[in-house]
Amino acid sequence: MRDNYQTRVSRTGRFAVWGLLAVMFLCVLAPAAAAQQADPAGIALGDKSNAVDAGGNAFVVAEPTDKADPDYAAKKKAFDDYQAQAAKEPLAVKLADSVGHVRIATNVGWTLNTGYLVLFMQAGFALLTCGLVRKKNAAHLMMLNFAAYVFAFLAYYVCGYAFQFGAVAINAAPAGLGGTPTLNQFLIGSGQWGFLGGKGFFLSGPGYDAGSNVLTLFQVVFMETAGYIIVGSICERINFWGFLLCEIFVGALLYPIFGCWVWGGGWMSQLGSTMGMGHGYVDFAGSSVVHAVGGFCAMALAVVLGPRLGKYDKDGKPRAFPAHNIVFVVTGTFILLFGWMGFNPGSTLAATDLRIGVIAINTNLAAVAGAATAIVLWYFMFGKPDISMGCNGMLAGLVAITAPCAFVGPNASVIIGIIAGVIVCLGVLFNERVLKVDDPCGAVSVHGYCGWFGAVALGIFADGTYGAGWNGVGAATYLGKAGQGVTGLLHGDTSQFMLQLGGATLCAVYAFAFTFVVFKIVNAIRPLRVSKEAEIEGLDVPEFGMLAYPETGDEVSAAV
Amino acid sequence: MKLIKCVVREEKIDETTDALRALDISGLTVSRVCGHGTCERQTVVYRGVRLESRLLPKMMIDVVAPDDQVDDVVRVVTETARTGEAGDGRIFVMTIDEAYTIRTRQGGVA
Repeated sequence: MRDNYQTRVSRTGRFAVWGLLAVMFLCVLAPAAAAQQADPAGIALGDKSNAVDAGGNAFVVAEPTDKADPDYAAKKKAFDDYQAQAAKEPLAVKLADSVGHVRIATNVGWTLNTGYLVLFMQAGFALLTCGLVRKKNAAHLMMLNFAAYVFAFLAYYVCGYAFQFGAVAINAAPAGLGGTPTLNQFLIGSGQWGFLGGKGFFLSGPGYDAGSNVLTLFQVVFMETAGYIIVGSICERINFWGFLLCEIFVGALLYPIFGCWVWGGGWMSQLGSTMGMGHGYVDFAGSSVVHAVGGFCAMALAVVLGPRLGKYDKDGKPRAFPAHNIVFVVTGTFILLFGWMGFNPGSTLAATDLRIGVIAINTNLAAVAGAATAIVLWYFMFGKPDISMGCNGMLAGLVAITAPCAFVGPNASVIIGIIAGVIVCLGVLFNERVLKVDDPCGAVSVHGYCGWFGAVALGIFADGTYGAGWNGVGAATYLGKAGQGVTGLLHGDTSQFMLQLGGATLCAVYAFAFTFVVFKIVNAIRPLRVSKEAEIEGLDVPEFGMLAYPETGDEVSAAV
Repeated sequence: MKLIKCVVREEKIDETTDALRALDISGLTVSRVCGHGTCERQTVVYRGVRLESRLLPKMMIDVVAPDDQVDDVVRVVTETARTGEAGDGRIFVMTIDEAYTIRTRQGGVA
């Protein structure tokens, strides 16, 4: 029996490797001509045009070209004054070159370092999910977490980044990182109706660029977050090769496509300009783009796999499989909180955007509000606080504040955290008792439901103090006020709320339906689930030949 | 009064103890144990080196029962813990001289 199993594993493995090679081959054939020269060394990154004051006013005054503009005369005068001043003080212009370079360098350092914080969240996810499963599957779960990083990263390198950001310079250029001008072509769509980016495959040609690669690092760890979320729902029963296919799917297709629509300058972000809906679909750091995509993908996979053996008795009543190491769970949650300090403030992609202080405190407030709510709510519902639900409550608050963190104030953050804490508790019970979706770590509730809510909460609570000119909307005035930023329902912008509601729901439907269809087919060709015997024994030895905790005595004997 | 020691598969422990509870016996003790029988072997490869396990994890249930209940206990365990494959485990029955309840200092099974 065991030999059969081994053969099956290696055949699936070869299948996966050939699939990956085929995808790589196709991507090499894709057109890779770069009109704009890439700058791999970063020596041309940041000059006087990047020297900007606190109000966002540039040092350099551009020459006006539109003579029909009523302000043409004033603009022309400003330009002439600047030219005269620059000719008189050439040293000041040189100094501005340095200032612009330092500004970009500061942002590059900030974005990379916050990216490293997000990278460390992977350790938090690994500990959290490992602590929540049964001891017999602990090694298997750690390997899933480890391999997720490895294989999803490669998929993102091959085509994920290009699909997501291959056209970012058209509508959503990250000015703080120099604008990544080489990523300027949609593969599908064009102008303000882009559906898929088309430059930067294999990070070569236009993707081999210092400014662009800062963005790549920051975004690949975000994609990994979505990739890790699914582990929490499919663990204890998925086989390793099936899991690798899931990760490649997330890294190459599922995450980048929706990410392009919202962050890559795609059609959803431009609905403000094209359809007059608020500032377009806004998701600051990824409640929907990262978390809801991961959460609803996880839900679809959990439905395809079915519940773990023995999760429901013959009357359909759920049985508890208690966490095997609550110390891991709490430690992992704290690491995630720490990493989130990179996730949200880092999403400015600029240390020179001083909203980061507000973002950091909002993020923490929502986290503690979510945790407090889950602890108190569970106390009232079941007589005792549940440690793992408290941790889920903190993550729920974090997930929900991820989209609105830059656009709301501290009080709204607390309210968002409290609502998320309620959603996560009820969501866990709803999944387990009503939908009967077996979700061992509560990933669907934490990331799916609260991610959806976070994007909607932005449309409710955004107070207009930040984000003027977001997605190219209302740079001069918005709602009749100069400097008015992204505004929610409570502050008078109904269209923003409607778009957030529709966009977040589209995100949930997209992630669930796409994953469900693909993996229903994959599952029919080759089952994603381990054998019944392996599941009863625990997946550690059947899948990887070793236990997580051999010292406890029930091991295969020590060195022979 | 007999002591019945049952070595069973790990995954059968819930089913077997639930069935024993239904027999209205006074209580039982469960421990994790390792051992081997005559034929069951398991081989794994650890970092490229084949490793043959000599001892396999099992669960042991200790039950004390009056003489007239022994047959019931043995029947229940053989029914619930059996898969028909090698490695289902063993049952040993032995006589107990005396037994006490610590709290009440009372002798006997109950």
